[in-house]
Amino acid sequence: MKKLLLASALSVISAHAASAEIRVGILHSLTGTMAISETTLRDVMLMLIEQQNAAGGLLGEEIVPVVVDPASDWPLFAERARELLTVHEVDVIFGCWTSVSRKSVLPVIEELNGLMFYPVQYEGEESSRNVFYTGAAPNQQAIPAVDYFLEELGVETFALLGTDYVYPRTTNRILEQYLLDSGIPQENIFVNYTPFGHSDWSSIVADVVALGESGQQVGVISTINGDANVGFYSELAAQGVTADDIPVVAFSVGEEELAGLDTGPLEGHLAAWNYFQSADTPENEAFITAWHEFIGDESRPTNDPMEAHYIGFNMWVQAVEAAGTTDVDAVRDAMYGIEVPNLTGGTATMLPNHHLTKPVLIGEIRPDGQFDIITQTDPVPGDAWTDYLPESAVLTSDWPGLDCGMYNTETETCVQIESNY
Amino acid sequence: MIRILRACLAGLILSLSVMPAAFAQEEEGADLQALLQSRADLVADASRRTVGEVLELLVESGLAEVPQFLATWQARELYQRDSDGLFVYVEDPDADPLTLLDISTGEVIGTAGSREVSQLRPNRGVQGVIAGALVQFQLSSEDPAERLQALAAIEDDPDESHLPLLREMLEEESDPAVRSAIETLLPGLIIAFADSDADRVAAIESLAGNVSLDARATLNPLLTTRREVADALPQELNIMQVLDPGSAELSVDEAYQMLVDDGLAPAIVSRADQRAILAENVVDGRVGGVPVAELGDYEARDRAYGALVDAGLAQPAPTEAEIEAALDAHVFFDAYREPSSAVTDAARATLDGIETRVGLFRLLDLSLDGLSLASIYFLAAIGLAITFGVMGVINMAHGEFIMIGAYTGYVVQTIVPDYTLSIMLAIPLAFAVTFGAGVAMERLVIRWLYHRPLETLLATFGISIALQQIVRQIFGTQARPLTPPDWLAGSVAINDVVSISSIRIAIFLLGAIFFVALWLILNRTRLGLEVRAVTQNPAMASSMGINPDRINMLTFGLGSGIAGIAGVAIGLFAQVVPDLGSNYIVQSFMTVVVGGVGNIFGTLFGALMIGSLQKVIEWLNPSNTLAAQTYMILFVILFIQFRPRGIIALKGRAAGD
Amino acid sequence: MEGKSIFTRNRSVPIFIGLLALFTLGVTILSEGYGTGALSVSFTKVLGMTLCLCLAALAMDLVWGYCGILSLGHFAFFGLGGYMIGMWLMTARTEAVVRANLAGNVIPPTEAEVSTATALQIFSVVGAEDWPWMWAVSDSLVLSLLLVVLIPGLLALVFGWLAFRSRVTGVYLSILTQAMTLALSLYLFQNDTGLRGNNGLSGLQNIPGAEGIGQDRISIWFFWASALALGIAYIGAAWVVSGKFGNIVRAIRDDEQRVRFLGYRVEGYKLFVFTLTAVICGIAGALYYPQAGIINPDEIAPIASIYLAVWVAIGGRGRLYGAVIGAAVVSLLSTYFTGGRAPDIDLGIYTIEWVDWWPVLLGLGFVLVTLFAPKGLGGLVDLIVRKDKA
Repeated sequence: MKKLLLASALSVISAHAASAEIRVGILHSLTGTMAISETTLRDVMLMLIEQQNAAGGLLGEEIVPVVVDPASDWPLFAERARELLTVHEVDVIFGCWTSVSRKSVLPVIEELNGLMFYPVQYEGEESSRNVFYTGAAPNQQAIPAVDYFLEELGVETFALLGTDYVYPRTTNRILEQYLLDSGIPQENIFVNYTPFGHSDWSSIVADVVALGESGQQVGVISTINGDANVGFYSELAAQGVTADDIPVVAFSVGEEELAGLDTGPLEGHLAAWNYFQSADTPENEAFITAWHEFIGDESRPTNDPMEAHYIGFNMWVQAVEAAGTTDVDAVRDAMYGIEVPNLTGGTATMLPNHHLTKPVLIGEIRPDGQFDIITQTDPVPGDAWTDYLPESAVLTSDWPGLDCGMYNTETETCVQIESNY
Repeated sequence: MIRILRACLAGLILSLSVMPAAFAQEEEGADLQALLQSRADLVADASRRTVGEVLELLVESGLAEVPQFLATWQARELYQRDSDGLFVYVEDPDADPLTLLDISTGEVIGTAGSREVSQLRPNRGVQGVIAGALVQFQLSSEDPAERLQALAAIEDDPDESHLPLLREMLEEESDPAVRSAIETLLPGLIIAFADSDADRVAAIESLAGNVSLDARATLNPLLTTRREVADALPQELNIMQVLDPGSAELSVDEAYQMLVDDGLAPAIVSRADQRAILAENVVDGRVGGVPVAELGDYEARDRAYGALVDAGLAQPAPTEAEIEAALDAHVFFDAYREPSSAVTDAARATLDGIETRVGLFRLLDLSLDGLSLASIYFLAAIGLAITFGVMGVINMAHGEFIMIGAYTGYVVQTIVPDYTLSIMLAIPLAFAVTFGAGVAMERLVIRWLYHRPLETLLATFGISIALQQIVRQIFGTQARPLTPPDWLAGSVAINDVVSISSIRIAIFLLGAIFFVALWLILNRTRLGLEVRAVTQNPAMASSMGINPDRINMLTFGLGSGIAGIAGVAIGLFAQVVPDLGSNYIVQSFMTVVVGGVGNIFGTLFGALMIGSLQKVIEWLNPSNTLAAQTYMILFVILFIQFRPRGIIALKGRAAGD
Repeated sequence: MEGKSIFTRNRSVPIFIGLLALFTLGVTILSEGYGTGALSVSFTKVLGMTLCLCLAALAMDLVWGYCGILSLGHFAFFGLGGYMIGMWLMTARTEAVVRANLAGNVIPPTEAEVSTATALQIFSVVGAEDWPWMWAVSDSLVLSLLLVVLIPGLLALVFGWLAFRSRVTGVYLSILTQAMTLALSLYLFQNDTGLRGNNGLSGLQNIPGAEGIGQDRISIWFFWASALALGIAYIGAAWVVSGKFGNIVRAIRDDEQRVRFLGYRVEGYKLFVFTLTAVICGIAGALYYPQAGIINPDEIAPIASIYLAVWVAIGGRGRLYGAVIGAAVVSLLSTYFTGGRAPDIDLGIYTIEWVDWWPVLLGLGFVLVTLFAPKGLGGLVDLIVRKDKA
């Protein structure tokens, strides 16, 4: 029995063995809890590859997508990444959503010198030689949103509500320090963590409302993830809290998430992203049209991580063309400084720290599940190591210049070449 | 709320535009467009901090069209033409191309595509400032609604000038709604801005016993303090308390740091600073005579640092005695920002009274929360109490029946658009669907396994996986909304402390109805009698003419059907996703086991205990909800050690062994 | 004497050990690290991890198939074993990195500084910077290995003692063990409990002290270790279930009350089996997670333990090779079908994508096996063996 299995597995593996075309690995969960968000990213990658092939492929060859399913299971991400690089011999990987899945993949792609594009906003504090981060670092999403609260809405008491995992934890740690630096006293910062899919929000919302007894404007910074948002916003609405009373700015609520919600109670609350579907530019219009045509469903929204893949893929294509090969080291060297137009206007530039320059947009939720863009900043360069935590402030990342992703500017030494996972 | 605001604005614009356009045109001096163009950037990229300048200019200009302009701008209906920066109104924002109107005359001045003009969207902060500027126009308006709106703007951002205005207005106001709004607003303004302490104290005392958030928000700012240090206690300040360094409120380190910050004492040299100074003073591989290689040790570092201090190369670090002396030489205190002690004393006394009442209400609120959580657990578990508790069948797919019920509700809602009607339809339909599913499962799988309970567990687990995945195939992984009708969307608030959402009250009622209905079915009907007979002794029941097969089938169907209805209720406040049910399954089993198997009273007590316990633990540790769940489960495990048969244990033969 | 007799008393032992040895040899010859390279590193890892799962299933079979305790918590012990070894792996690796970095400083670091910097590296991910108490011995390999055995064992001992003492049996015990698993996974999910919350421990495949050695070799080492552990455990389990002890244990499964009336201390036997199997699971986990590379609370979720029971049920309870076959077949098939390797079946109107339909098939598979083949796949062996005799 075992022998039989082995043989069949072997034959499958050899069937995939090397041929000449260019292979792009897509490492997004198609089943399990993360499938909600990640399936869309697989689709957008398939669309981008199809478009590129229609336009003549890359270096005269056809691009072949290799889709695998890590099934929202973090150890499987590492296993699948190893397969993609060693068995399917892909030239580049586009993948991951959660931080833990990225941390699971990191040791593998660093060991095998792979190349991955990571499209989701994340907590920063990382810069791997083998990863290009096309999503936002905290200074490209969280900090501008807090500035907006401080400057424009005059918020003096902050409730940092988050789902209990690494992105909210690290982001809130950075924000807490940033708020203290901005003169907000510790007692005016309320922090709460809830489990994934939390639905019993009544007491937490009541606690937030009670913060108003100090007589100061209260604002909520929400890093609440996924399903739990429904209950949270409904409870706010049920307790009669409007965006005028207590504004909420969310970092994980986008068009895709709103599609599953009754948006009535959310109207007027905020979200901070680098992209909104409602951005009125010719590039965006073309992208949305192509997407709807590809997916065959006019109601499927576009969102921020999709734009990140759009930018990442186009950058990679340009870098491969510039390098004339898909060899990882050559492509990486060609990546720095490459510019690709953002869908919201302006251009995204790849920085030496493997992050992008991105404009920060703050949008108000509309009843139709789209966003009114209230402010749009000039492109902000992504910061791998935050300036607001003392131990990170001394760190910098500069791969072409210093060949190091975690360089201590005080002692002028490279802390580590491999990433911290 | 926003819709109402919009309606008000529309009314305002209408009432303002009654003013003859000709009048506006005859106005001499600078016209509105020119004024705006002189500050074009501040208008286009308005910020709360800078918009005041533009508003001042506009109000001072005295132009008649200013109120209408402000209202339009605030409502985000102002546009700017990209080609020349001209500010315009548009006729219909959804039209393409847009018809542009002049902001002074309202005349058509051309058309433009949506990318040739930018819609100006002042943020909420700016909208608030504009509302403040509109106050002076609105307070004297004929329309009571506009006056109320102005009062709302004052409430958001009160300033000193409003106090005399409102006092004057109160004497003349005839509209009762506006009057009462002024009366609620005045004490706050008096407390904040009145000159006479007596007035303020009276206003403070008028708030006694008022648990509303506004009252507390008015009083608390009076009691804000700042922490200071001085050589001697200053007499002119309103001192709250003198602090002793080393007490719970002020540690020695914090106190000394205050002295350092104020330049009253030399800084403590931290380990990091010490290392940096040592690194700067390496001479020939030695620091202060100590070889560098030995410095991987704090004692050696202290020695080297001492040598550096002796050589005058480093600042001496203060000793313990010096720190103590420095602390003794100064006095640390908290001073109220409010200078009048009469006011702070009154505020403190009033607030203490309020806080006591708030505490009591919080307790009530906590109990309501616990009750509400208990009713959710009860709903999720009651179906299980029948299949597991009465029949002894362990059904791991119970959660999936809840999920199917929720999806049934979703499907009904996509067909029947009226939310009230769709919920009314969904409840019986969900029951029917899951009843059918339950009967099918009992016939096909469970009845073959009555003597192998552990294997029932595995088989039903297999069904649970398959059902989840099939639903995922049909409806996708995307969460589906199940929207409550409007009459269930709000909440019932007793005051600002105690409130409970209507949906939770509905779930509570539903739980109560289920409980009574089930009790009646099991204890007062023929079916119930037969069910009890079959559970206690199937062979005997069978010989009495009862068909145990039929009874088992019906009982299982009933338990499953109830799960379906619970699904509709749970779907209304949580998101409908394929793994909805698996979130409730373990909790439900524990509810049944803790309560005592075979008795719906047991399930009721089990749910009450688990629900209220979880709320109490959450209340003790409000920043971590996960911890509450962990401790709750640990408690349940321990509880079962001491009462293995649950709160209400069956006695006699039905108890099993 | 004992060891020899077990080979003759239980015919499956020599056959199993022989097959396992052949299999290990085959994988080694085909491996990238020491052989022809026909087997990729990732597939070698899958095989090694499968052996660990077989080991856990073996333990599950002992406790359920032989002793009648359907524990839905044995994967929690498996995960705990992984966490215990993971703490050492993370600490040792990170400390090496930190030391190398601090060595560049002008002033040599103190031990306290190394420790602080290591803690910061490990815990900054979850917003903390101090060593939690449970990492106290994480710098010692020997103590960590001891914990791999001690912690799951102690938890099982305490839990089992409480449960068996109160005569919690049958489905109640199953639910209670499931509650324990849920409590443990919720506890680990909290970021401030010290085991890095949802992120768990990662980068475990990088073995400290073996920095220069590629994963192609490390994967084979772990494969050998897993095969060795499985072999030893199989012999040990076969010894335990044979003889008088085995008879009593089986008797407890069949009628606990009667055994008690015969004067045996049922609780003691049950507690011994429960704890022993928890320890085996802990060891299996400690071998599994360095191959998987990451452990986090999701691994411990109650559903994982149910799967373990399902493997045993499919393989065939009450026979040791049944558990091994079940775990190997189901987990490898799952890998095959959810890995996107299985070709989709185009029915014209509908395309069956295995990634989506595999769970349905698996779920219905349990039902069918439970209903129609209570002996599981192991029952097939009976058919063959009987034919031989006939």
